[in-house]
Amino acid sequence: MLARIAQELFWLGRDLTRAEHTARMLDGAFHADVVGGASGPGAPQPGIALSWNGVLAVIGAKPPAPGEEAAEGAVAEAAGYAPPGMLGRHEIAPLLTLDTDSPASVVSCVYRARQRARTLRDVISAEMWEALNSFYLSLGRYDLEAALATGPYSVYQEVKERCALFWGLLAKTMLRDEARSFLEAGGHIEEADMVLRMLRVASPAVDSDAGLGDSLQDHEAEALALLQAVGGFQAFRRHLRRVPTLASVSRFLLYESQYPVSVLASLEELRVALETADPMPRSAPPVLRLGRLIADLELQQRTGRASESLIEKLAIVQDELEVIDHEIDERYFAVAAVAAVHSGV
Amino acid sequence: MSVDELIDGYLIPEGSVDELLEDDGQPKAHVRSLVATLRRLGPEALAAAGLRRDAIFMQQGITFEVSGSNGERRDRPFPLDLVPRVLTASEWTVIKRGLAQRIRALNSFVDDVYHGREIVRAGIVPWSLIVSRPSFARPVHGVRAPGGVYAHVSGCDLVRGGDGSWRVLEDNVRTPSGISYVLENRLAMTRLVPELFAGQRVRPVEHYPSLLLEALQAVAPSPEADPTVVVWTPGPLNGAYFEHAFLARAMGIELVEASDLVVRDSICYMRTTAGLRRVHTIYRRLDDDFIDPLEFRSDSVLGVPGLVRAYRAGTVAIANAIGTGVADDKAIYHYVPEMIRFYLSEEPILENVPTYLLSDEKVRRWILGRLHEVVVKPTSESGGKGVFIGPQASADELAAEARLIEAQPELFIAQELVHLSTVPTETGNGRLTPRHVDLRPFAVFGDEIRIVPGGLTRVALTEGSMIVNSSQGGGSKDTWVLDDGDIGDALPVGIAAREPPRLPDVRYGGWHGQSQQQQQARS
Repeated sequence: MLARIAQELFWLGRDLTRAEHTARMLDGAFHADVVGGASGPGAPQPGIALSWNGVLAVIGAKPPAPGEEAAEGAVAEAAGYAPPGMLGRHEIAPLLTLDTDSPASVVSCVYRARQRARTLRDVISAEMWEALNSFYLSLGRYDLEAALATGPYSVYQEVKERCALFWGLLAKTMLRDEARSFLEAGGHIEEADMVLRMLRVASPAVDSDAGLGDSLQDHEAEALALLQAVGGFQAFRRHLRRVPTLASVSRFLLYESQYPVSVLASLEELRVALETADPMPRSAPPVLRLGRLIADLELQQRTGRASESLIEKLAIVQDELEVIDHEIDERYFAVAAVAAVHSGV
Repeated sequence: MSVDELIDGYLIPEGSVDELLEDDGQPKAHVRSLVATLRRLGPEALAAAGLRRDAIFMQQGITFEVSGSNGERRDRPFPLDLVPRVLTASEWTVIKRGLAQRIRALNSFVDDVYHGREIVRAGIVPWSLIVSRPSFARPVHGVRAPGGVYAHVSGCDLVRGGDGSWRVLEDNVRTPSGISYVLENRLAMTRLVPELFAGQRVRPVEHYPSLLLEALQAVAPSPEADPTVVVWTPGPLNGAYFEHAFLARAMGIELVEASDLVVRDSICYMRTTAGLRRVHTIYRRLDDDFIDPLEFRSDSVLGVPGLVRAYRAGTVAIANAIGTGVADDKAIYHYVPEMIRFYLSEEPILENVPTYLLSDEKVRRWILGRLHEVVVKPTSESGGKGVFIGPQASADELAAEARLIEAQPELFIAQELVHLSTVPTETGNGRLTPRHVDLRPFAVFGDEIRIVPGGLTRVALTEGSMIVNSSQGGGSKDTWVLDDGDIGDALPVGIAAREPPRLPDVRYGGWHGQSQQQQQARS
């Protein structure tokens, strides 16, 4: 198939998955913010690393210049505004949800996905296109800013449902061909990347013990926030039947192949997709590298021992994933990428 | 919106205290910012949030069945009022200590009743009264529950009288329900009216399933590290099935019915696709009467034959333990303050509502003389059934009740009327009026007693009514315990606040660059 089409499919999958994860994380941050109350003047939640600044860090987005939105005094604080320099609910939630200027926002992700789908209408099924298009239209239909202020829950709920609808229609209506594989590959690599990012933000920086040791015990609030941010609380509970601790949740989200959103499970799905799409997967650098990464993770899961600390481990996995990402670019889209650079000039 | 529009004509009923507002309509000190936010929102926003609430509750299936006037049954969204009830940290500390004390005493009482009967020999509670209770369970005489814990889960009903003091109205150590509404109410409030939480620190409740699971695992008779715990429901037709499923889901354990359990050689198993699997702890949500047809009601089809045998053999823990109901009988309630003194050598922190046993001739004469002032309850009913409120009864009703009491005095107790406190409640169009409330905090007893901050506040939605049971048209409120820095109840605090690590930016990619799009559009 055309390299350009493959690349658009791949990024359509990524954009949609990113929108969903961002919505879930924001929903979680919002919940933690509300139940945690005002712990101090604008201070980030103690113990909850997936707070507003945490979500920002996951996306790697740049906060607007401090002090830009001058929110003064105790009144603003009581209303949930952070003092200048400290970003809170009222800055970050709209920035990452509605702001069309911010490429990381949910709305921007959906907008890009829909733009891509427009050029893919002959490739994806009509039902998928309609689902995505009506998703895009629904975001413009009502006053999102007001909805976000009164009940952000319903906004994020809608994002989750619309994304699920798209993937559900894909499963039902799209041929299991190369196109579908690239679309799914994009979804899976983005999923793995987002979960890795979340884990890195949520894990304590100082991690004396090797791997997932006792030092991570009992960060229950943090562990719950992580599970909430992937919608995996119930799956975790059914799997482990134990009080979630940061250590057990991190292990679950990294290694548990029974859980579809874990890093390992996403990577395995990614491999399946690439092997389907690639006519010669045995000589494809991204597939080979991916295979080594998966084997490495499986070995660690079985032995329960890693030579590095969790935080280092996560960084290594993510670096490796980035290399795989570039290798995917190289192998399948390189021709297209060059063309894009030329036409962009 | 002015406060006047929101609480226009707010009149606190004679004899009651309001928990949010002073007599002159000004907010109390600890809820000033909450009331200010309510004023800012105004009636329209409250009414709109109410509509969203009903839609969400219907969608999530948080409903209960009511029978309409023509006898048809239909689902209604669980009535959650959007104005929270707020307790200060110091108030809560008293309640928490008082409840823990009371539950320790009740637990000792159950153990005593089925073993040494010290309290009977000391002449404090008459043995004839204990054995005549319907919930007294002969089959477990001499059986010590694993860990010595009988009342694993309890939910005592508290009320706040006209003098502002807290009293215990009723003990509930069988299968108290309502905790699922506490958790769902909090979740719904954070989604529907997040504004109300601004500027306050409300103690979390969402760790209840973890507490419960830990307690149930702690009492499991098993040397193994990973005991199997199940929730046992009578079935989907039970009124509290939603809660049974909720708890099983939140704890990640199996929700079983009687047909899933089997006892072989005094060991309890559940039937799984991988064959029989041993069960160590059963959190049962049905009464003693039904759990084992071999020992209790032989016509029970909800029970597991042989379960009591397994329990006696000590191979399975049952929560709450069999026979615990004897401690929450309304006739035994009268003796609880004495129990606290007897078993713990402490003075009760929470008082009883003055209660009279009508089997005593002299007391009965006196009560019958002032029947129009007191409340009369049947001893073996629950859910607000058969409660007779003297001051609201007509002359005919008074005479009828007097005849009932004369006929079988031992079936009734009389209590002084408590003027339940009120809390502003939305009663249509977003306007607030005072409604009476009680409080049911939930305690979990495993290795130690843990109580979830707050509890279920039930509210009588009919004006002037003091019957708060949801089967009688009651609603509920989210109950806040404010945090004043004492983190005794808080979740274990995680790592200190810190800067998140710097991660590489997310990538953006694809074929269509923006400049290319612009050119395409122009060409």
